[in-house]
Amino acid sequence: MSVFRLKSVFFLLVFVLPITKAVAQQEWIRTGTNRGAPIRLAVPDFKATAADSQTTSLNTVFNQTLWNDLDNSGIFDMVAKSFYPIQIPGTPVEVKLDAWSNAPVNAAFLAFGNLGVANEKLQVMGWLFDAKNLLSPQVLGKQYQETPTESNARLIAHRFADEIIFRLGGGINGVAESRIYFISSRKGTKEVWAMDYDGAGQQQLTHLNSIALSPRVSPDGSRVAFSAISHDSWQILMYSLDLGRIVSSPRFGGDNFTPAWSSDGSKLAFSSSMRDGDPEIYLTNPDGAAGAKRLTAVKGSDVSPVFNPKTNGQIAWVSGRAGLPQIFIMDADGSNVQQITKEGYAVSPSWSPNGLLLAFSWIRHYGPGAPGGQDIYLMNVATREFVQLTHDSGRNDFPSWSPDGRHIVFQSTRTGSEQIWSMLADGTHQQQITRDGKNSMPNWSYK
Amino acid sequence: MMQTGIFEERQKWKGAILLSAGLHLFVALAIILTVHFRGEQIKTWGSATAGEAMSANLVSAVPLPQPEEPTANIVATENKGQTQSLPAPVTKDEPKAIPIPLNEPKHKPQKTETTQAEVKPPPRPVTPPHDNAVPYGAGGPISGPYGAFQSTNVKGGFNFQGGGDFGNRFGWYVQVVNNKVSNNWYTTEIGAAAGARRAYILFDINPDGSPGNVRVEQTSGVPALDQSAVRAVQRIDTFGPTPSGNKVSVEFWFDYQR
Repeated sequence: MSVFRLKSVFFLLVFVLPITKAVAQQEWIRTGTNRGAPIRLAVPDFKATAADSQTTSLNTVFNQTLWNDLDNSGIFDMVAKSFYPIQIPGTPVEVKLDAWSNAPVNAAFLAFGNLGVANEKLQVMGWLFDAKNLLSPQVLGKQYQETPTESNARLIAHRFADEIIFRLGGGINGVAESRIYFISSRKGTKEVWAMDYDGAGQQQLTHLNSIALSPRVSPDGSRVAFSAISHDSWQILMYSLDLGRIVSSPRFGGDNFTPAWSSDGSKLAFSSSMRDGDPEIYLTNPDGAAGAKRLTAVKGSDVSPVFNPKTNGQIAWVSGRAGLPQIFIMDADGSNVQQITKEGYAVSPSWSPNGLLLAFSWIRHYGPGAPGGQDIYLMNVATREFVQLTHDSGRNDFPSWSPDGRHIVFQSTRTGSEQIWSMLADGTHQQQITRDGKNSMPNWSYK
Repeated sequence: MMQTGIFEERQKWKGAILLSAGLHLFVALAIILTVHFRGEQIKTWGSATAGEAMSANLVSAVPLPQPEEPTANIVATENKGQTQSLPAPVTKDEPKAIPIPLNEPKHKPQKTETTQAEVKPPPRPVTPPHDNAVPYGAGGPISGPYGAFQSTNVKGGFNFQGGGDFGNRFGWYVQVVNNKVSNNWYTTEIGAAAGARRAYILFDINPDGSPGNVRVEQTSGVPALDQSAVRAVQRIDTFGPTPSGNKVSVEFWFDYQR
């Protein structure tokens, strides 16, 4: 032993000391590509800490919401609850990780916790454990306290789900607390409505009793711009979500349609026929003080502008200058026009948050008797490669990206009437989120 | 006459030998005493069970040295330098969540040892901790379930014990990095010429989660493959804040098979 120590000291003095300064505070990861394996996550129902009926009903809402949020996130392979052990943990001391990390569960991560109403407060404690790491399994531990209502139970579930998605999804915030704005005619006229991303909490915003179209929420989430018939022309209107009423907005001559926010909220692009009756793309700021700057000047309708949210340096829009409507791209000053789609009938562009992809609705073979329908496509802006996301399922239109870039919400007639659907950005996990009346033109909030 | 001369020479030899022996003894004693008094810190260093000797090997095995500490010319570079920047003003939000302390009371902070206070890391920009963050457990395991990566963390001075073992403590983060890079690797960018190849890429993850300093460690021999691997990392905005709050270096290999 002493010889060993002697050697150690000698080695330490001569070889190690000079390099310790260089390696101090250095942390290393060595890893390699490992494709195609979504994270296996087990989420047992949260344990109710009290037996009263209020706790039980809130716990049911909470567990359903949490499961759906995580399932919808698109990054998890949710382990079915029938595989779970009989002993469901409610606190960290009750966890037996072996039971979760081995067959049949084979979970990589375990989210669990407890919920109860005490002193008129809904208390939720939740943990996320790395099931394969026996020595320091805790990734996350959270405690929430709200007044005990059903909407608060949903809110806490959304927040806890987003914390898990933020950690395991690589620093991208989840969309569980985001909202979707859309047009619904279920009360007779087309008005702007809002709902949670999963279709819960649908509420009517405007009561104009005319026709409202193409709602676009501002990047800070404070206002919704939309086009509506006002007096005798179409105008861009603004609805303030803070004040709960219509606020002033820039008004121009002619008909004005399809507003689009830049992602910094400083600019508004829209289509207007104010000059010569031909709809062209114009640029203004949200209060209209700068007037309108014209960006396109070619015969044929130009509508549906959308900014590249990553740079705000480019605008994609729909132009009829080549006959049938096609998607075009230009720089935000109107220069450098490029045609993106070359065939069929392409409308409703939506630019992905990372700026790489355009989602749009496309009838690739247009005309009587032509094969195929109207479907959602993605196109890589740089390479012009495209992929079809919906197949053989009614008319699909108005795609809108979620803020995390993992989801797309769109309108489909596959059930017989116009309804709003959502899917993962690879076309999987399609689900209907509205059912009452006719609902169309969804727009996903920025956060 | 002759005999006295030889005798005198022998006397000189003896003195030198004694002096030499004394000095050797002194050095040996010094070493033994050093080991005895400082042995606590180096008790199991290099022993087979600890596995930490591998850590030293790993660091020296990295062929590309870290860039030298940048001279903190704030005007010329984007580097924040070594100056201490003030934390952003904390807005008093209503807390969305209250942290649950991980440790039981028995893990109360122990007396700090004097040796730990001597070496301080250079001051770094202060990021205010999340108000709802949960402290992680102290210390990490030596061997963990993730065999595909190795890591080392040296905390102040030459303390090879304890410290953080990043890959084992935060295996979930390694998995996140792995998934994210894999998903952002577009193999369609690689031409048809490449066969089964492997490229090694090095990059850093800053404390805020953004990748930086991407470079090829070992080329695959196919430039398009190297390029696509570098782009896969550059395409990523963030991996999420590093759980340890420190910069993490990553060696990532890209296996390409047609």
